[in-house]
Amino acid sequence: MLDGYGPMLFKGLTATLGVAVGAYCIALVLGVLGATAKLEGGRVTKGVAEAYTFVIRGVPELILLLLVFFAIPTLIQSIVRSISPEFVNFRLELEPFTSAVVALGFIYGASATEVFRGAIQAIPLGQLEAARAYGMYGRVLVVQVALPQLLRFALSGLSNLWLIVLKATALASVIQVVELMRVANLAAGATNKPFTFFLAAACIYLAISAVSLVCIKFIEVYSFRGTEQGAK
Amino acid sequence: MRNRLRYLFAVAAICVSSTAVQAQTNVRIATEGAYPPFNYVDAKGKLGGFDIDIANAICAVAKFNCTIVAQNWDGIIPGLNAEKYDLIFAAMTATIERRKVVAFSNKYASMPFRFVASNRVADAIAAAPGTGIDQLKTALKGKTIGLVTASTADPYVRKTFEGVSTLRSYQKMSDVLQDLKAGRIDAYADGALGIDATFLKTATGKGYRFVGAPLTDPAYFGTGVGAAARLKDTELLAKVNTALAQILTDGTYQKIAKKYFDFDIYGQ
Repeated sequence: MLDGYGPMLFKGLTATLGVAVGAYCIALVLGVLGATAKLEGGRVTKGVAEAYTFVIRGVPELILLLLVFFAIPTLIQSIVRSISPEFVNFRLELEPFTSAVVALGFIYGASATEVFRGAIQAIPLGQLEAARAYGMYGRVLVVQVALPQLLRFALSGLSNLWLIVLKATALASVIQVVELMRVANLAAGATNKPFTFFLAAACIYLAISAVSLVCIKFIEVYSFRGTEQGAK
Repeated sequence: MRNRLRYLFAVAAICVSSTAVQAQTNVRIATEGAYPPFNYVDAKGKLGGFDIDIANAICAVAKFNCTIVAQNWDGIIPGLNAEKYDLIFAAMTATIERRKVVAFSNKYASMPFRFVASNRVADAIAAAPGTGIDQLKTALKGKTIGLVTASTADPYVRKTFEGVSTLRSYQKMSDVLQDLKAGRIDAYADGALGIDATFLKTATGKGYRFVGAPLTDPAYFGTGVGAAARLKDTELLAKVNTALAQILTDGTYQKIAKKYFDFDIYGQ
């Protein structure tokens, strides 16, 4: 049915998961940093974080991805080459997979920043004051009181973000990462059966999303333990 | 004339190979991978096709250490100029427009360009008054023509059929063929060999045929299919030409061509 392209689709699936997980991790780290900068930073860090979320969330992912892969290396190359004739053969090679992970991570870090910022702000101040009144400071305060609540507030946003990143990996096909979408495209071109392969790819994306949703459910049950919502 | 040129190239090849340092040069090559029988990705994920075999033969003769990657057609020239790779072997015709941004090797194939349409539309075209491209223009007035973005046929059809037909752009051949079959476009103009091999010669192409004479305007259809390199890489291109001349004389080229085509793909 898949004209023997099944194993290749599977390989594409692993690349898709690789890009998604990698980009998501980067996005989470950037999100925490960005949210901290926005809420606690000085004027400069705050400004940088604001500019980051404003610009990145306002420009299509596809354009940013193409910029990272094509434009930025060319720009750096020509700058380095113009510095001195010694560097005339300087070449900046960005591997497609790494570029995709970094670019998507950077792009969705902006959304993660907003998710974390909202979650941190949603923690009732009274909770923190009460914790301090009980003599909880520093690590204990963060780990025992702030983080569990943060997770609860951030969870729906973060799980949404995961599903978005997962599907956004299809964008990586334009910079020749051989992920699911690219494989489907190549197989469609070689066999002239676009419907078969795009439908297969769609089913695979749906299957990953379904598995993800089950995992998210477990995390939800865990993080809402001991609350009214968790008791339902 | 061609034989004399080949002789010259052969002599040049001997001179170059006897003096050249025997170090292997790393050369990165891009192809489209979605244009059978010229280039495609097989079920194992490996690139195959006429372009790939010719590229490999040239690499072997020129002692290049080659890696070949698949790259979407619409970004294939920008990628070359962004130095993602050094050569393109992708059934690319050396047109005047493309020669402004990249340099081409000597030709390694000739690509006829034709319109394809359903028998019904083809009959209507054949019955229309006039000859050649004028007949096509009369018959396709108000109809929709599909084109692959940045393909060789694209600028020609755009200029010739502007204001006559509706033109619709696609990213690759299989997308246009899908819409041709679905009836969303009435005709499709592109390289005839790709259409023939993947469509007309298969069961899905039943009820469709080529219509009108091959498109020949040299201003648009250039001087045959060549390998493309960056404009400044003249040295690399010279090596490719030397190697190409050699595989044309020693029979390697003919052996590869026979694998894919039952006629003379090199052309006049």
